[in-house]
Amino acid sequence: MNSETATVKQVALEKDDVGNFSFPESHKFDAGYGLTKDTIDYISKVKDEPAWVNEFRHRALKTFESKPMPTNWATKDLENIDFDKIRYYLSDGAQPKRSWDDVPPEVLETFDRLGVPEQERAFLAGVEAQYDSEAAYSNVKEALADEGVIFVTCSEGLKEHEEIFRPWFGKVIPTGDNKFSALNSAVMSGGSFIYIPPGVKVKHPLQAYFRINSENFGQFERTLIIADEGSEVMYMEGCTAPKFETATLHSAVVELVAMKGAKIQYITVQNWSSNVFNLVTKRGLAHEDAEIRWIDCNIGSRLTMKYPGVVMKGERARGEVISIALANDGQHQDTGAKMIHAANNTTSNVISKSISVGEGRSTYRGQVHIPKHLKGCKNNTECDALLINTNSRTDTYPAISVKGNQHVTQHEASVSQVSEEMLFYMQQRGLSETQAMSLAVNGFINDLVEEFPMEYSVELKRLIDLEMEGSVG
Amino acid sequence: MSATFASPALKEFEELDWPVRTEENWRFGSWKEANLSGLETVGAGTIGELPEPLEGFTRLVFANRELVSGSSESAELVEGSFGPTSRLGSPKLAALHTAKSKHTLHVRSATDLSLELIYFVSGEGLFLPGVVIEAEAGANIRLVKRFISVDDSAAVVLTATDVRAAENAKVTCLVTQELNHRSKLIRFADSTLQASSHTKLAVVHTGAKWVREETYSTVDGSDAKSEILSVALPDTGQEYDQRTFQHHGARNTYSDLLFKNTLFGKATTIFSGLIFVDEGAHGTDAYQTCRNLMMTDECEAHSMPGLEINADDVKCSHGSTSSRVSDEEIFYLMARGITAKDARSLVAQGFSIEAIERLEDGQLETLAIEVVARKFATVE
Repeated sequence: MNSETATVKQVALEKDDVGNFSFPESHKFDAGYGLTKDTIDYISKVKDEPAWVNEFRHRALKTFESKPMPTNWATKDLENIDFDKIRYYLSDGAQPKRSWDDVPPEVLETFDRLGVPEQERAFLAGVEAQYDSEAAYSNVKEALADEGVIFVTCSEGLKEHEEIFRPWFGKVIPTGDNKFSALNSAVMSGGSFIYIPPGVKVKHPLQAYFRINSENFGQFERTLIIADEGSEVMYMEGCTAPKFETATLHSAVVELVAMKGAKIQYITVQNWSSNVFNLVTKRGLAHEDAEIRWIDCNIGSRLTMKYPGVVMKGERARGEVISIALANDGQHQDTGAKMIHAANNTTSNVISKSISVGEGRSTYRGQVHIPKHLKGCKNNTECDALLINTNSRTDTYPAISVKGNQHVTQHEASVSQVSEEMLFYMQQRGLSETQAMSLAVNGFINDLVEEFPMEYSVELKRLIDLEMEGSVG
Repeated sequence: MSATFASPALKEFEELDWPVRTEENWRFGSWKEANLSGLETVGAGTIGELPEPLEGFTRLVFANRELVSGSSESAELVEGSFGPTSRLGSPKLAALHTAKSKHTLHVRSATDLSLELIYFVSGEGLFLPGVVIEAEAGANIRLVKRFISVDDSAAVVLTATDVRAAENAKVTCLVTQELNHRSKLIRFADSTLQASSHTKLAVVHTGAKWVREETYSTVDGSDAKSEILSVALPDTGQEYDQRTFQHHGARNTYSDLLFKNTLFGKATTIFSGLIFVDEGAHGTDAYQTCRNLMMTDECEAHSMPGLEINADDVKCSHGSTSSRVSDEEIFYLMARGITAKDARSLVAQGFSIEAIERLEDGQLETLAIEVVARKFATVE
């Protein structure tokens, strides 16, 4: 990194907002405002998609239009999304680059500021970086490619690996799952397709980085990860956007398929700017003895609605969601987990910790489903909420359905605050009130932060320190 | 009075819709059961076999809406419904009660009062009893209310209770629901607590094919303490749908809810509870626990424990579990010469009794345990 960008990064950090910078827009392809059948045909044409994808998109548009907003249970803030004022596709038309040297300078600088190229050199097995609608860079290290690992953009996946891609695409999360999965299916662009061949254990994490650079733009990436029998993979994603005057929409669909005995870990650090509506559908399908873990951290956005799920389809499959949410002024983190047990002896674990600062609101919404005629299913759910200020708000809405007496489920939730004594004790030992509060909050989530890879846990702690600034006193 | 009160309610009733599937307050619930359209109110009823009297209690006996025996200076029959409200999904049913209930039993006391209400239910149709309990400052009211079917007719009991506890008042209330398996019970149980008052409201459900119960406790005075208890023992063909709301509107208030469900056969239970802490209600202590004991492989339990906290400096928690009697406990008892079946029954009864013991009232506990034991004698 050159010294100038380092300074810019420093300034951005000091303004407690790493992602808040943007470059002038220059788009070769722009689908314009609003969503119609023409928008879809435009996207399909630009992307030169096979007919089945275009048909898939059209069907999804119908579903999207017919589905009501889920405001009967969700926040009314959703009504503030004006679908006609969103741009659904923006790109400069270039294919993803395989080397950082080929990436256009301003895009490279963006990812440079966010530290992505450095990280790749340091420890990543592969990176995909998405800038507005399309991937700007996509690379997987040679050794992995030799083993048969596929790590490409979703568009490449559906064109060049149709035989692996198509049987699972839209199978874990059907188009009609909810209004926003239908929207994504209609206008999806970007995202990753990953295939790990049987028995291959990818030692280093694969990473994707999502960046919104244009105002009024909606990002709709689509990711499908298939881990074949006995393979293992860890995938990490991060996201940022500059603060625009108007609200921005991010609505992704992520599908994971873990075949017999496979393991997938999916890690998200979401740091969208505080006017992004982040409405994401994430679900994994775990076959026999497979394990799917969602490790999810939500710090940014105006409204996040995200309930990662695992469908445990094979015996002894295991699902896990580990979630940290921090809601500051003007933010609503509505997160949770869905655990669908569909085979005997499946186990699931949900641990959620949320922190509400200022007038922030954090919500846990969960579903555990154990249907008839199964044996030996287990679920454990723990939700802990920490309230920092007088006006902070937290809600918990779990739903647990159990049929039969061969299972064990337990759910616990608690709400607490940082005790005066604890703060006083730390201040006695020379910490400022803010430092003491930061330390207490980091202590609250410490056991979960340890689940993140080292680089991310350091980043996370720093983000939390930044969020806690000015929250007390 | 009933005429002026009832006619706007009748209009409201006619304008409102029956519950529908998409309502969050009816999630997992049998919303179709709540549709009572075309149902006529029951006529005169018959008296059943009277249970043993409770020592020290004044007993009032009703056969459907008729008061057939007993009287108390503290209890007065007032014409018309007291006008219950439903904040948990059934406004049409509340309006129905307001429009059609013939009279309300108004219980008022400033001192000690022990009252037993027996409702004998008979014949087909809709029965709409209503009770208001006003515990004036410093009062100590103990109330037992029993719903008992006299025959096998499919009755629908739509009942509403409003407990109003003034400063330093104490109310302990036990409701037992022993209806036949063709009847339905819809129950609104509201309570409002002023400063330093204390209520313990318990219910034991053993009968009815379908129960919908909406319990709303408003804890509005500092140092008030609201306890809500339930023991439910549904069997095949029975579904109990219980929704609760613990509303904390003042500083330093306390509430504790404990629901114990033991499910036999193909029974279904639904529990949805919410602890709601208003802005500024600092120092709230609120707890909520729902435990499901699954006795068979075909029963079904849905739990939705919820929290909405708008103030800091609070202690709130909820817990929900579903499991069966552990093999270790059965083994322990069998090793002492008890059969597996008896062992399971013993453990399950102990599970229910944990909630009943919270009443801390010997007479009420004994009665509740009797009702529970009677149900256990009928299940496999």
